[in-house]
Amino acid sequence: MNKLRLVFILFMVLAFTGFYTSAQDNKMMYGNTPDSIFPYNSFQKAYKYHFVEPIEFLGAGREKKAPTGLTEVRLGFLGPLDNSPIVPLGLQMLNGAKLALEQANERGGYKGIPYKLMIHNDVGLWGAAANEVIDMDDEGVWAWLGSIDDIVSHVALRATLKCEIMMVCTGDPDPTFTETNIPWAIRVISDDRQSCYALANYVYNEKGHDRMAIIRTGDRYGRVGVMEFMGVANRMGHPVRMEERFATGETDFTMQLKNIKNDKPEAIIVWGNAKESALIVNQIREMGMQQPVYASDRIISQEFLDIAGKNAEGIVTTSQYDPTADNPALKKFQADYRKKFGEEPNVFAAHAFDGMNLIIKAIEKVGLNRVLIRDVLTDRSTFQNYQGVTGNIVLDASWNDVGKIFMGKVENGKFVFFPAAQMKERGHSQSMAGY
Amino acid sequence: MKSKFNLTFFAFLTLLTFGIVSMGFTRSEKSPDVKESNSVPIYGNWKNFTKDNGLPGNKTYAVRVDGDRVLVGTHEGLAVYEDEKWTTYTTENGLSHNGVIAIDVSELTGDVWLGTMGGLTRWSGGKFEQYTQMNSGMANDLVYAVICDGKDVWVATGGGAGKLDTYTKEWEIFTEQNAPMHEPWTYSVCAGDNKVWIAAWGGGVIEYNKKTNHFRDYVDPDGNMEIDLFPDDGVVHDITTGVSYSNGILWAATYFGLSRYDGRGWKGYFDHDSGLASNFINYVRSVGDYAYLCTDKGLSITDGESWVTYKKNENDKNGKAIITNGESKTEKSFSPSISHNFILGVDVQDDVIWVATSYGLSRGERIN
Repeated sequence: MNKLRLVFILFMVLAFTGFYTSAQDNKMMYGNTPDSIFPYNSFQKAYKYHFVEPIEFLGAGREKKAPTGLTEVRLGFLGPLDNSPIVPLGLQMLNGAKLALEQANERGGYKGIPYKLMIHNDVGLWGAAANEVIDMDDEGVWAWLGSIDDIVSHVALRATLKCEIMMVCTGDPDPTFTETNIPWAIRVISDDRQSCYALANYVYNEKGHDRMAIIRTGDRYGRVGVMEFMGVANRMGHPVRMEERFATGETDFTMQLKNIKNDKPEAIIVWGNAKESALIVNQIREMGMQQPVYASDRIISQEFLDIAGKNAEGIVTTSQYDPTADNPALKKFQADYRKKFGEEPNVFAAHAFDGMNLIIKAIEKVGLNRVLIRDVLTDRSTFQNYQGVTGNIVLDASWNDVGKIFMGKVENGKFVFFPAAQMKERGHSQSMAGY
Repeated sequence: MKSKFNLTFFAFLTLLTFGIVSMGFTRSEKSPDVKESNSVPIYGNWKNFTKDNGLPGNKTYAVRVDGDRVLVGTHEGLAVYEDEKWTTYTTENGLSHNGVIAIDVSELTGDVWLGTMGGLTRWSGGKFEQYTQMNSGMANDLVYAVICDGKDVWVATGGGAGKLDTYTKEWEIFTEQNAPMHEPWTYSVCAGDNKVWIAAWGGGVIEYNKKTNHFRDYVDPDGNMEIDLFPDDGVVHDITTGVSYSNGILWAATYFGLSRYDGRGWKGYFDHDSGLASNFINYVRSVGDYAYLCTDKGLSITDGESWVTYKKNENDKNGKAIITNGESKTEKSFSPSISHNFILGVDVQDDVIWVATSYGLSRGERIN
């Protein structure tokens, strides 16, 4: 009888655990998000979870034969190269891509055919990027790399879906870029979701701050950039006290900083480009505020250090890679870059170098077919954990890079980097409905 | 006695457990004598067209029936099927761009309006007229959608939606500056009952009231891209790819599922809880009571209750229709079937359906 009872109990356990296991069980939640900060997770399981499984492209095109008689293998580039406040970032991205292509051509190109970069400028105006992608389609590029400005990337992404050309994004950290379910893009740079998780963990859990104020650029980079931080802060029980905005090109931030000063926050986050961020840091100190200052990763530049000077000391930010890592490939890249361009490569140059090398390796693996190039870049096996000069590239189910985030702190006039601490638990849904 | 009672009790509980567990599974029938949906149209007698029998290219983006002829947008130009013959028009004939991705025909004038990858083209009286950013007030040259609404022609572009008054020749552009959008990324537009709806990518659905000139928006209430918190609380996702309106119902397509709005409430449909072929919906067109959903895994037709989904077999030209009525599923085989499962466009007239796919165009006839 006891045996029978044991068998029955075993059966019941199996019935109510094994039979009800859904396909999504034990999948990582989107964006490596810990359960505790996943939206609504403490109160309500969602009816449907997205970005848990990759979307496959099921259209035609794999049957197309590679053309014969090619004299060059064209690859596209889209970046801010003229008439934009972030031209210096775009030029670095272009240089990184160029360096990767030149080295590939030195190795013999694609089966003896040289690669050629088809360079397109995104002027940052709404919709212009769509026309540039159509031009790339007309030019016959096999894949393309870009961009930095999130308004450009979003518009280009929809166009690249229509044209079915693989896009490798190496500069846009907008979390919503890969939240589109479009299976024609990967991003090989960590996004602001990952950066905001790291920053929130640092300021709230490690530093113990509670009352934070944010001053950010009024454009989409600022709005979407701090969006994740605000959400996480709420879920961690530390709603941000104040959010002030400024315009790109602004030099006097007295009005916004007076508001912040009156609110007496424990610390301040500055989210913007290097120049404005440095000016804000200077004015924070000039106004007598001594609170710790944190900032977005665009401050990692000599321009920021030059303008902020001694006021930069102690400021902490996040970084998508460690430019001081003891990585032979990184050191060779930095030396090659310095030799060719006469300056230090920044984060956009390094990631563009990795991104263009991924495109080249994909073409060398599958040949000249846009769909097959897409397939191999998105299969999350061939290039998963690719060791680039920026470190280990790990793509999640939305093809977003969820590799390591680093913290950067200004010490003695330069940035010192260290790994961001992981939040203790990482998210696994016990039951994701809708699958 | 005690042992006998326990055995009976355990047996009862075991059967009960099997019963509870089996209730979770969906029934599926497969029979040649299928019980077909009484309402949703079923099409068969499929005929397919590719480059081998007249199309300029295999990738077809859009299709529109215009009386006795059929207009097909392809990557290589506009293909017109008339008297069982194909004629192709390209930039050499005056198209703005060979990539024709949207088509509509004016009921007022009979003019054909073509949304291309390089501008808007009007085909009137045998002549092509181009509208681009450079020569008109258009917001962007990549025209994802075009519709004719009386004398007005509406376009959806990544730089905003636009309305061309064909009488005054003036453009009015709708962006985040004058409409409730975060960004001006628009990808579809439809009209009906004195309203216009715009699919704003990231902004849900924007409704424009032509009487009051007022806008309002419909977004996913949970405010997060990675989830749909409740199934019928609003549009299923803020990234909308298509809108279509008929018989008082607005259908909104996304890459995350389908939404239906009857003017009072929203209902959401996903591939796991309905007969929808896939949550990845490229295009929606509603005619009468039915919505035609162009997905990456086949064509679905629904009235919101019953579903018919067409799928081609992976390794041959045959396929099937999957008919879903509540928990009941039946199948009907076809030989041949639709040309490809990646559907990009659809149009119906009377009892004939035309389907634009990633590899060829299909024509079917209603059989129920």
